[in-house]
Amino acid sequence: MDDGDEPPIVLSHNTSLSSKSGGDKMFSLKKWNAVAMWSWDVECDTCAICRVQVMDACLRCQAENKQEDCVVVWGECNHSFHNCCMSLWVKQNNRCPLCQQDWVVQRIGK
Amino acid sequence: MLTLASKLKRDDGGKTGRASGASDSTHRVSIRDRLLTKEVSELEAHLPSTCKASFPDEDKLHHFQLAVSPDEGYYQSGRFQFEIDVPEAYNMVPPKVRCLTRIWHPNITENGEICLSLLREHSIDGTGWAPTRTLKDVVWGLNSLFTDLLNFDDPLNIDAAEHHLRDKEDFRNKVQDYVKHYAR
Repeated sequence: MDDGDEPPIVLSHNTSLSSKSGGDKMFSLKKWNAVAMWSWDVECDTCAICRVQVMDACLRCQAENKQEDCVVVWGECNHSFHNCCMSLWVKQNNRCPLCQQDWVVQRIGK
Repeated sequence: MLTLASKLKRDDGGKTGRASGASDSTHRVSIRDRLLTKEVSELEAHLPSTCKASFPDEDKLHHFQLAVSPDEGYYQSGRFQFEIDVPEAYNMVPPKVRCLTRIWHPNITENGEICLSLLREHSIDGTGWAPTRTLKDVVWGLNSLFTDLLNFDDPLNIDAAEHHLRDKEDFRNKVQDYVKHYAR
């Protein structure tokens, strides 16, 4: 999609108004493409520690072939990480590395 | 409609095939090295114009040098070399950084020890190391030690900070003397 896609919609609207009043059509809109975005319904879909999507296994589990055991942990701050990544970090510093709040587990699972 | 559940099911189905082969060959590559492959290319793409990174051994992304040539402030016209070592436990622990160039600076000792909050392994507040940080942050931090993060109020080299407090012109002269002797 290029930058020129949005303005024509506005212009064609104006044009249709002017065409009603004056019948003097400067140009008409022949085609436009709508673009939609989507994402998973979680606040952060990439683990900020190992930078792999939380729904995939973390770097460590991928390396050790333990994909099936790799689960996601959500904190009360609503940030999510791989449980293995986060349990390594909280040993050093019991805070969410994203918001610095004290880390309290809200939920573990997939 | 796409849901998380259906994505998970799909992933499970596709996983069995590629799991064994792929992970065997990559098993010996450490987590650190996997992270560094991404971080180094990101770093090189976003290097500040005053910085230059060099890797003496291209197979060792965990060991490199950074040259910072400030284009403003007290340290302008100097070229300061840093040595960056990324420990095996990265990114649970920060990179180890030393300044190889002798310097008169409130936050760097003449022996090369550096006081930069994000390099601190254990910190009580949120300014220390966190695994969410990357090499890019480290390099930008080091680069900023010559500008925004130059901090006379919480010095590591107390003599340098007091010198600046006492006589800013004389401090500037000593900085430039050091630049002439050590940082060209």
